[in-house]
Amino acid sequence: MDNNYTFTRKTQISLFVIGGLGILLLLLGYLLEAPNSQRFWTNFLINNLFFLFIALFGGVFQALHKIAYSGWHTALQRIPEALASFLPIAAILMFLLYFGMHDIYHWSHEGLYDPILEGKAAYLNVPFFFIRMAVYFAIWIWLTRLLRKNSLQQDLSTDIKYYKKGKLLAALFMVFFAVSSSTMSWDWLMSIDAHWYSTLYGWFVFIGLFVSGIATIILFISFLKWKGYLEFINKEHIHDMGKYLFAFSIFWMYLWFSQYLLIWYSHIPEETAYFAPRLNDHTVLFFTILVLNFVLPFLGLMTRNSKRNLKWLSLMAVVVLIGQWLNLYLLVIPGTIGKSATIGFTEIGFVCLYLGGFLFVVFSSLAKAPLLSKNDPLLEESFHYET
Amino acid sequence: MYVSPIREPLITGKKTYKQITDEISAPIEGKAGKAWYAGITITLSALFLGLAMMGWTIWQGIGTWGLNKTIGWGWGITNFVWWVGIGHAGTFISAILLLFRQKWRTSINRSAEAMTLFAVMCAGLFPLIHMGRPLLGFFVFPYPNTRGLWVNFNSPLLWDVFAISTYFSVSLLFWYVGLIPDIGTIRDKVKSKFKKAIYGFLSFGWTGSARHWSRHETMSLILAGLAAPLVLSVHSIVSSDFATSVIPGWHTTIFPPYFVSGAIFSGFAMVLTLLIITRKVLNLESYITVGHVESMNKIIIATGSIVGIAYITELFIAWYSGVEYEQYAFLNRATGPYWWAYAIMMTCNVISPQLLWFKKLRRNLAFTFVLSIFINIGMWFERFVIIVTSLHRDYLPSSWSMYEPTIVEVGIFIGTLGLFFTCFLLFIRVFPVIAIAEVKTVMKNSGEKLANRDKNE
Amino acid sequence: MKRYISAYFEDEENLLRATKELRAKDVSIQDVLTPFPVHGLDTALGYKRSNLPTVAFICGAIGLAIAFGFQTWAFTVDYPLFIGGKPHFSIPSFIPITFELTVLFAAFGMAIAFFIRSKLGPGANNIIHDERSTNDRFVIIVDLDEAGNQDAIVKSILEKEEALNIQVKEIES
Repeated sequence: MDNNYTFTRKTQISLFVIGGLGILLLLLGYLLEAPNSQRFWTNFLINNLFFLFIALFGGVFQALHKIAYSGWHTALQRIPEALASFLPIAAILMFLLYFGMHDIYHWSHEGLYDPILEGKAAYLNVPFFFIRMAVYFAIWIWLTRLLRKNSLQQDLSTDIKYYKKGKLLAALFMVFFAVSSSTMSWDWLMSIDAHWYSTLYGWFVFIGLFVSGIATIILFISFLKWKGYLEFINKEHIHDMGKYLFAFSIFWMYLWFSQYLLIWYSHIPEETAYFAPRLNDHTVLFFTILVLNFVLPFLGLMTRNSKRNLKWLSLMAVVVLIGQWLNLYLLVIPGTIGKSATIGFTEIGFVCLYLGGFLFVVFSSLAKAPLLSKNDPLLEESFHYET
Repeated sequence: MYVSPIREPLITGKKTYKQITDEISAPIEGKAGKAWYAGITITLSALFLGLAMMGWTIWQGIGTWGLNKTIGWGWGITNFVWWVGIGHAGTFISAILLLFRQKWRTSINRSAEAMTLFAVMCAGLFPLIHMGRPLLGFFVFPYPNTRGLWVNFNSPLLWDVFAISTYFSVSLLFWYVGLIPDIGTIRDKVKSKFKKAIYGFLSFGWTGSARHWSRHETMSLILAGLAAPLVLSVHSIVSSDFATSVIPGWHTTIFPPYFVSGAIFSGFAMVLTLLIITRKVLNLESYITVGHVESMNKIIIATGSIVGIAYITELFIAWYSGVEYEQYAFLNRATGPYWWAYAIMMTCNVISPQLLWFKKLRRNLAFTFVLSIFINIGMWFERFVIIVTSLHRDYLPSSWSMYEPTIVEVGIFIGTLGLFFTCFLLFIRVFPVIAIAEVKTVMKNSGEKLANRDKNE
Repeated sequence: MKRYISAYFEDEENLLRATKELRAKDVSIQDVLTPFPVHGLDTALGYKRSNLPTVAFICGAIGLAIAFGFQTWAFTVDYPLFIGGKPHFSIPSFIPITFELTVLFAAFGMAIAFFIRSKLGPGANNIIHDERSTNDRFVIIVDLDEAGNQDAIVKSILEKEEALNIQVKEIES
């Protein structure tokens, strides 16, 4: 059983091509589309968050299954571990936001004479913003690294203590993540529309993170199986990933609707001001997001066979990932670029560049360790996995 | 199916299939003990007190309650939400834990689902009584009438009618469908002709044919798939009774998921309260083990912490919003005349479950029992805090008011407690408390390993 | 004249193996009665997956159409009335009830289909072959041909798997 993934030259080159294409498109965008720092920073934020969320989900997936005593995931736990390896890079890039603050966060401007923003200044100010950011990243990176290290040490020893330590780390990660996932979404996303507020917002962003993470893991399984790895992943594992994608797409819709319904129903101008530009200026996008994130995966993954068919499931995962990217896009742009925002060379270029870089980092990390954490006491359950 | 040896057995004591049947159906075949009669005497007295108070309310009118113009909703709606919340654990256990393949659910799902049904029955009483004229309760359904009117489909209260009645019907169906094979078992076990006829009728002619089992399993999975979003929807819709309004403290978007989490939290607390006693009295300790209690405690700490995060999110966003009414509503909750209710809520719901991070306490039955009662109280106060503190300080300071329940309201609440526990006491005498067939399916893999049970292994 | 053989096992592993062997020998198994759903038995017996999910889907779709259609009709055609500043055709308001009725129809439609298809229901009076088949016995009922050519082979398979109480029965038809 070949347990090690080799990051082949061919794959590396294709990733360079994707990244290179991104740079090319960005150049085209610079030449053909009006060069605009706001557009640059908006796209930077969207993509950095999109891939950061997927990396974070690497930690969430491991931690959740560990604390739920789940056995079936152990055969694929190296994938989320590798996803989390992108976190340090996302962190460094995120700090570059310092130079783009003014283009994105209205509240960071000086001398606004805005009584509402003055009331929030104790929380929304530039130094505290970066201090919080540093704390989030420090703890996320620290804990995901410990989880990874623990998992690699387990490969060398059959001692049960690594299993127990893994559980402890997982619990710590989940506790910190439960709080930081809300605060990070207030900081980085909700504060773009600085006057507006919604208590559900943090959980809504979290569920988006969850769905895109699941979709990414499905695509990784699909890719590795196509390359001939992961022969121990059977139809049942695929079925469960399919159920996740199906169920959490519905859950995403549930939270989306909860927020929308309550704001629509109460009809308070301060609150509807958030949905009005999204619904009126970006009508097509607004409904496309609902179709991609809910209607298609809901209808497409309803039957049992569709969840067990890896090719079809991968297609649905791509649909959902596009949907989640667009969702993030629509969370950000009305508060920054506004009405005139379009998807052009700059947007696609950014996605390509990030995609290439992200995959390069994750594949490198994946190649560093065996694909199977062979000493996990629950691994045997994952092999004999049936309904 | 392989089960890792590091897992704790779900059934202790090396049972045979026959033993499982005998032990679980023992309370149905045997005679009730003194404790049972004592218990049902107390619960029936509570129920009769409640009935009397309900009668008084209907005879005299809602004026017998402590409500006033400012605080139009008090104990009645608090109890309604509290009971509906308790009714969430059963379907959560049997639907969502089934989909997540948590096998420990098999020992507790039957009784938890029964509690769901009884709790929803108790909950449904409150809106009915609050109508003042319960005989006209059917007005809430859209039926063609001589007035040519339809009910208001824009009203969250009407959504509630549909949500609660659907939830009750589907939970009942799910519960009964799961119960049919076990009723068949009881039918073939009881000796008396009369009992045989009754259980025979209730068993729908179940024989245990492989074809039926195959369909039954498919159906259970789909029912679980349908019931899972239903559980989420019910308390979300209940929360929209408040959240669609423009009252500070009520109108907040986090309400739907936060209510659901709180509901599961309180539901598990009630399940623990009852099962810790039941397992002892009915000698079911080897089926509902300390491991089961620990698993439930983990759900308690997870949902309790989510509720805690929601409380803090509400507080923070109230400050962050910059809206003075929002800020005042939350300041008043914590420091106003009802500060004590807020303090009880915070202590019982957020602080006390954190003790469960210690494994020793999670596995301590006495501690869990006391804690579960704390949570039941805390969750009642949560609803009280949300409802009364948001209402009692109106926009117009001249309408500011205080609310105190009358003996009638307290009596009705005690009455529903009586109804709930009476139903549960009857249930344990009539139907198997543990899903016999389901426990048998997990016995070989997850039970304590048998020395010479499977002769072919 | 119909002939069949019945026996019971004390362990589901024996039942599973016997079922597989009998099916390999092209013997038709009339019924298997078990106290709980035995994992893998339906595949061993060659049962197809049930169509109940499809029934649930269709019933759910009907429920959805009825709920959404009725609310729309009542509020836009039959009795349009302004309530709380909401439009007559207010989709978000209609969704909760639509969802509830979808679930209600799907659940009950499927359950009714299950009872009809399985010929179960209040008052159904099926023959109980062995009172302990709902307790701890795994009963198998195998059809035999009239000539009795299969008797020996079926019996030998059953005996090999330690079946008890092997009985050949005949019914005039």
